Amino acid sequence: MPYELISGCQAAAIAVQRAGVDLVAAYPITPQTAIVETLANFEAKGELGGEFVSVESEYSALSCCNGAVAAGARVFTATSSHGLAYMHEMIQWCSGARFPIVMVNVNRAVGAPWVLDPDQGDSLSQRDTGWMQIYCANAQEVFDTVLQAFMLSEELLLPSLVVFDGFYISHTYEPVDVPEVEKVREFIGPPQFQAQVEPGVQANLHGLSKGETQLQLVRRRHEDMLRAPQVFTAINEKFYRVFGRSYKTVDATIPEGSKTAFLAAGSTAETVKWFLPELKGCGLIQLRMFRPFPGDELGRIVEEQGLERLIIVDRNCSTGTGGYFAQEVRAALYGLTVRPVIQDLLLAGGIDLTKDILAGAAEKSPGDKLVDQEWGVELK
Amino acid sequence: MADSMLEFRLHGRGGQGIVVAAAIFAEAVFLDGRYARAFSLFGAERRGAPVTAFIRAGENPLMPRSRIYNPDYVVVFDPTLSDETLLSGLKEGGILMVNIAEDNLDNLPGDALAGNRFRVYTVDATDIARKHGLTVAGFPVVNTVMLGAMARVSGIASLDNLVDSIKKRITASLEANISAVNEGSERVREVGGLVR
Repeated sequence: MPYELISGCQAAAIAVQRAGVDLVAAYPITPQTAIVETLANFEAKGELGGEFVSVESEYSALSCCNGAVAAGARVFTATSSHGLAYMHEMIQWCSGARFPIVMVNVNRAVGAPWVLDPDQGDSLSQRDTGWMQIYCANAQEVFDTVLQAFMLSEELLLPSLVVFDGFYISHTYEPVDVPEVEKVREFIGPPQFQAQVEPGVQANLHGLSKGETQLQLVRRRHEDMLRAPQVFTAINEKFYRVFGRSYKTVDATIPEGSKTAFLAAGSTAETVKWFLPELKGCGLIQLRMFRPFPGDELGRIVEEQGLERLIIVDRNCSTGTGGYFAQEVRAALYGLTVRPVIQDLLLAGGIDLTKDILAGAAEKSPGDKLVDQEWGVELK
Repeated sequence: MADSMLEFRLHGRGGQGIVVAAAIFAEAVFLDGRYARAFSLFGAERRGAPVTAFIRAGENPLMPRSRIYNPDYVVVFDPTLSDETLLSGLKEGGILMVNIAEDNLDNLPGDALAGNRFRVYTVDATDIARKHGLTVAGFPVVNTVMLGAMARVSGIASLDNLVDSIKKRITASLEANISAVNEGSERVREVGGLVR
């Protein structure tokens, strides 16, 4: 197998080159910069196979992608934090227009103050914008998910946000199986979706409409996104046959007899998994898909395993409510006959998840609040 | 499970090449047949500011994604960094490797030699880097010397694999860097003992 020791950012960029894109428009921002650099290097060597457009802002990056995808191009962009926030208007235009764009967001806290640590609030705050969101726990997942995201988006005509943690994944060099370009392109194939504009033909896209029309469009978009878990599963079955790896929307590692599980999305899932042998009576639920929220699958896991307590690792905070993942899990599991106790482990600011924090949370009673400072977390 | 994993913490300053050194070492370890990861912590990177890099090496592809608080190895690329940061959490019996002259033991970080808590190794990487002309804007770039020393002391990466990885990641002064790896490996010494 062609393994390479590469960073999460490099894995994302190489996946884009392997998939074959017509256009990349992106603007560098820490900790995502290495994605843009790697793609620019491919272009400089004539290996990108598409155009690389250097833009002056993230707003322009996504606008440029929107125009290209309307013409039927397969496009990619990447950003982080303030860059994603700056795209907010175009992000919604893109999903409303049903543009199958793939974007990577590398998690980084949004200021003020300036922070580089991997708080997840940048991507989670975009949860209601009509994009699918998938969270990756290592560089191999990043590589594979970027490839799969093109297929998922193009099948459903919805944009995808592939998300991973700054530094813990973006700047970690680790072994990744990087398949040859021919193998990947044969698997993915060229884009199949219809162009919305054609050269020489005048067109007016997405013009002024009535609320009734918008209702129909929103409903259709919502229903189409709800099909994502099923399409994701089908893509992964095919992916497994070619590349020998596959992923679920929600994954569970529950040791026999465990009634408590940590729920984590992104790199923290690997930290929990590593320490499970030292966290007696605890399991792990790794959430990959966040939009659409795979609530049915999560509920099935909780019921089948008879889980009584979920500790939600939220490296984020929706001010005034608490962690995003805890909110979503509570809402998704409300319909269960027997609901688990749900506790929110709030690590906003992107602080490091250590064994001490995990053990401290596991030892608490189900009714306690989990306050991170109690375990001596170094807050800088 | 955790016992089969070795954890390295590298301390240096921006410009000394410790981030790329960590990646090179991890790749050489991987080529030698173990799983390995390298990562770094920094703010807005700038020359001269303290930089910390981490390496994990082990038999299991799964590894925690937290910082390293209790390393098996502390490798100091620049001994002028603060003492407290350098020795913090180093395991009892762990290995401290410092870029310092063999006859300058008074300037080892902290109480490195007190109470026989650690095995201490020295290599004069600054001298070796200068000798091979490895400087940027007058400052010695010591990373490849330290890599040679780390490979020798840890025994988990061969010099051949180190050189292969260096060829992929460092294009400037390749011959000088390869000589630096070899000399770092030859000149590293255990304080009060022989190199393993």
